[in-house]
Amino acid sequence: MQLETFNYDNKIVRNFGIATIFWGVVGMTVGLLVALQLVWPFMNLGTPFTTFGRVRPLHTNAVIFAFVGNGIFMGVYYSMQRLLKTRMFSDALSKIHFWGWQIIILAAAITLPLGLTTSHEYAELEWPIDIAITIIWVVFGINMFGTIIKRRERHMYVAIWFYIATFVTIAVLHIVNSVQLPIAAWKSYYIYAGVQDALVQWWYGHNAVAFFLTTPYLGMMYYFLPKMANRPIYSYKLSILHFWSLIFIYIWAGPHHLLYTSLPGWAQSLGVAFSIMLIAPSWGGMINGLLTLRGAWDKVRTEPTLKFMVVALTAYGMATFEGPMLSLKQVNAIAHFTDWIVAHVHVGALGWNGFMTFAILYWAIPKIYGTTLYSKKLASTHFWIGTLGILFYAIPMYWAAVVQGLMWKEFTPEGVLKYPSFLATTLQILPMHMLRAVGGALYLSGALLMTYNLIRTMRMGKLIANEPAQAMALAPVKVNEKSAHRRLERKPALFMVIALIVILIGGMVEMMPTFMISSNVPTITSVKPYTPLELQGRDIYIREGCVNCHSQTIRPFRSETARYGEYSKAGEFVYDHPFLWGSKRTGPDLHRIGKKYPNKWHFDHLLDPTITSPGSIMPSYPWLIEQALDTTTTASKIIAMRKLGVPYPANYEQQANADLSGQAKAIAANLKENQVDVLDNREIVAIIAYLQRLGTDIKVVEK
Amino acid sequence: MFKQITNLEGNEWYLITSLWIFLLFFIIVAILIIKMRKQHSSYMSRLPLKDEEAKELLDSKK
Repeated sequence: MQLETFNYDNKIVRNFGIATIFWGVVGMTVGLLVALQLVWPFMNLGTPFTTFGRVRPLHTNAVIFAFVGNGIFMGVYYSMQRLLKTRMFSDALSKIHFWGWQIIILAAAITLPLGLTTSHEYAELEWPIDIAITIIWVVFGINMFGTIIKRRERHMYVAIWFYIATFVTIAVLHIVNSVQLPIAAWKSYYIYAGVQDALVQWWYGHNAVAFFLTTPYLGMMYYFLPKMANRPIYSYKLSILHFWSLIFIYIWAGPHHLLYTSLPGWAQSLGVAFSIMLIAPSWGGMINGLLTLRGAWDKVRTEPTLKFMVVALTAYGMATFEGPMLSLKQVNAIAHFTDWIVAHVHVGALGWNGFMTFAILYWAIPKIYGTTLYSKKLASTHFWIGTLGILFYAIPMYWAAVVQGLMWKEFTPEGVLKYPSFLATTLQILPMHMLRAVGGALYLSGALLMTYNLIRTMRMGKLIANEPAQAMALAPVKVNEKSAHRRLERKPALFMVIALIVILIGGMVEMMPTFMISSNVPTITSVKPYTPLELQGRDIYIREGCVNCHSQTIRPFRSETARYGEYSKAGEFVYDHPFLWGSKRTGPDLHRIGKKYPNKWHFDHLLDPTITSPGSIMPSYPWLIEQALDTTTTASKIIAMRKLGVPYPANYEQQANADLSGQAKAIAANLKENQVDVLDNREIVAIIAYLQRLGTDIKVVEK
Repeated sequence: MFKQITNLEGNEWYLITSLWIFLLFFIIVAILIIKMRKQHSSYMSRLPLKDEEAKELLDSKK
């Protein structure tokens, strides 16, 4: 067999590496801003573009898809070439992938502050960007499979399986969760409504964590940890069990985000059962990683990269223990909607994703520049600052969660809520939020130290854009291999199909009955479609990102029905495209806010929340009073809703704006009676109409 | 706690069937692992270190 000489493409690795650092600093800085906004509302800066509701999705998208996304591509492009002993399939596709991804990030950074959002968490980007993501993801897939096909190593190493599973599952998740009906260039409605939309979103949301934040990182762990420790992976057989069990189980766990909601009970229980089972493969992977360091623990003292890897694996172990625990209904009842969820997410993001990304950057940048790291001491300082940052972030958040969760549920001996004012529970945890901001600032400082260290490293060396390598050409298979898995390891297409089938099973079992069996979402005759003004108001609610702080689903607990009113029913959401249940209660639930307060209360509250709620940390929305409502879109919104199954009468779109105007005039007149002079064509009138409608369809009218 | 799995108003079969599907899948994977030769798993576990060895070989030829 002939020995062949070829080159690895290090330029693409460098490009993704620089993008990782740049977007990491941007994403973390925006994260620090939102943390400060939750303590000092003036940090919302008084403009629509910088309010928490719009900036929080900017932070999550920046860290997930820009920082971690570029980190994934950096690691995948570096490791894949070396594990398959070939250059990437196409330099042109690599470039299209890189620049396409950066343009998508830029588009997100522009549209999210403008309020162009779908409101689905971690999938906020509007439909044109969704299409661009699909195209670029396909480009990545072609480049990846092209590389696998022209490989010089017969069997695909476990890291490659994780990359294949990532590619195929993210493709499925993104497509299914992005089926929208566009009504304008930057506005669309999900085809799913209410409970079904919630199930699709959290099937997506949970598995975006699984297949974007976990599986590619596990793949990178299986490559980079042995390299850093100079030890083979502890158990290859365990990695097989880890891989298949993890991708099978993960996909079922999404409904644990919807416990005690109106999602059918069986779907919730499926989510609980599979979430608990998830501990086994997750810890199997963590143990496989940590045991790879056997005999190399002395290096952890001196090598910053290994320090980062050890904490990354430990954080992974903590987060994957905590996730199943939070899925237990008893725990979920207290912890859900509190800061515990924020802490849980950040232990994973800062510890697992962040620290492993830092480790790979510290390891790979010197390699591709043919030099050594500028300063190990600075890297170690980064490690300790970052670790302190995680602790300062997570511990106060856990504390805040327990304090607030218990306050929400506490009753007096007389049987009434001890803290009926939601705001009292918010103010109680502000000191913890301040400490969280300190944690974020520490973590960001560490990242800035790394940036300096890596820039100096790059200056010390010179990029080896085309790194020479040699490997034997791949000979045709002559002997039929006995082990079925061994055969599978050299058949990438078959491997992808099997991985696809495995991840489809869970989604289909959960979704098909929820969509096809009507008894899973019982309808309620008194629930009617939104009026045109309420529909417009709902879109403003979405634009301003209110869902980031306010849930719209009341769980069937005494503490919640006493605070908010009757618990939420599945049939109440059948016209909600999209659902707006939320996942965090920084402010109170709003599902039964309708008719609870007069119009003037809402006007004052939106103008300046401290008028009605002294000490409130909610931002002000004065522009809603100044901006005129765009009614040119009313007809297209009604038509779109009718297409999606909302029973507006035929040709109602022609009459919709007249009805809208009538309802707006009535609200403006009511406000005027209460000494508020506002034009009836202002956005605030529409959002008041929407808020006053919420939860009123099944309210019993007192006679 | 197990009431969450067993008390589902007649819809238990969704859960029980799903768990059986997983068990079957897990057994298949376990059989594949048992049948795999140690020589292959040992070779594959060293794969990330191979490119370093190949690079050293290339450098030594220069």
